[in-house]
Amino acid sequence: MPLRNGPREFGAISRAIHWLMAVGILGTSVLGIVILRLTPSLSNIWLYGLHKTIGIVLLAAVLLRLLWHWASPTPAPLDSHGAGRARLARRAHWVLYALMIAIPLIGWAGSAATGIDVIVFGRWTLPPLVPASATAAKGLMALHHWLALAMLGLVAVHVAGALSRRDGTLRRMILGRPSPENPNPTSR
Amino acid sequence: MPPAPHQRPRALRTLASALPIVLAATLAALTATAEPARAIPRHYLLETAGSSVGYEADFGKDKIVGTIPVSMANLTLDFASLANCRVQVVLDAAAATANFPFAAQALRGPLVLDTARHPDIRFVSTAVHPKGDGALIDGNITIRGVTRPITLDAALYRQRGTAKGSLDRLQIRLKGTIQRDAFNADGWSSMVGNDVRIDIIADIREQG
Repeated sequence: MPLRNGPREFGAISRAIHWLMAVGILGTSVLGIVILRLTPSLSNIWLYGLHKTIGIVLLAAVLLRLLWHWASPTPAPLDSHGAGRARLARRAHWVLYALMIAIPLIGWAGSAATGIDVIVFGRWTLPPLVPASATAAKGLMALHHWLALAMLGLVAVHVAGALSRRDGTLRRMILGRPSPENPNPTSR
Repeated sequence: MPPAPHQRPRALRTLASALPIVLAATLAALTATAEPARAIPRHYLLETAGSSVGYEADFGKDKIVGTIPVSMANLTLDFASLANCRVQVVLDAAAATANFPFAAQALRGPLVLDTARHPDIRFVSTAVHPKGDGALIDGNITIRGVTRPITLDAALYRQRGTAKGSLDRLQIRLKGTIQRDAFNADGWSSMVGNDVRIDIIADIREQG
């Protein structure tokens, strides 16, 4: 199983980062929604720290992912739905990447604006990104919330798109190998 | 509801063993054993070591409890006339603590006390009335720059180890409740209750 991406297949590292991030994004999004509705208590306050820790890990993962894709470029999309849909899919991917970077950064900044530290794994305190400010805290936390909901919507579209394709795109992201029915990626 | 005994600051615990003295009735007894010439307004200043403020707020089914150091207390007590009594207390809000770090940072942060811009909480009395064995102290409290009237329950005690009848070193306890939204300190309102119960313990020594 090759670690690096090839011209027609995803390597193990790209696929591992993709699926781990998928689990992390869905997990921390659900956690974010849960803690918004939770009756707080001393027994569940640790969930806030967990949400922050997962968010920071996801931020590190997406930066690592971009670095890895620079070092080992991903294969081109399979050419089965025409140029228009391929262009749309590419733009959706870039919006997803932008959100994966922006949402944890805004959450980190929002937490700093409330005067509360972001502590990763209960051990490492991150420096505040912005000074404490009530106005900034309210604005950043609201932005964090709405962008997270927008990303969940985009993830749903992304999943629907992957499931609707019959060209082996999903199989390639799971197994790495190109689909035998459609082995030729489109040109970028 | 007061904090659970194991959560109370040291000053509160030691208070239980202090000898209670009254502002109204008991002050009269105190002054009866003191020299008549001293039955005039007496000025007291804070002894910081034994002084603190306990506070408590609802946090779901739990409580947030903590302390805020008393940085200044200036009292004029007239043991013959409550109307002449004056109380001024300043708290060091920037040094507030809580029973878990998240709460302490939230308390000091811009959504609640905003201690970067308003490091102090101030109380200045406007009137003192007798109430049972103690007194009610009307006054104004200033939190994050907003001043509102408040009435505190007051009791006066002789400090442990002082001689019976001595008025040189006393301990004053002030209790009350504030609604934090009245001071624009309403951050985290979905998590933390609006009522904050405060319990000020101040050791005071007669000035010079």
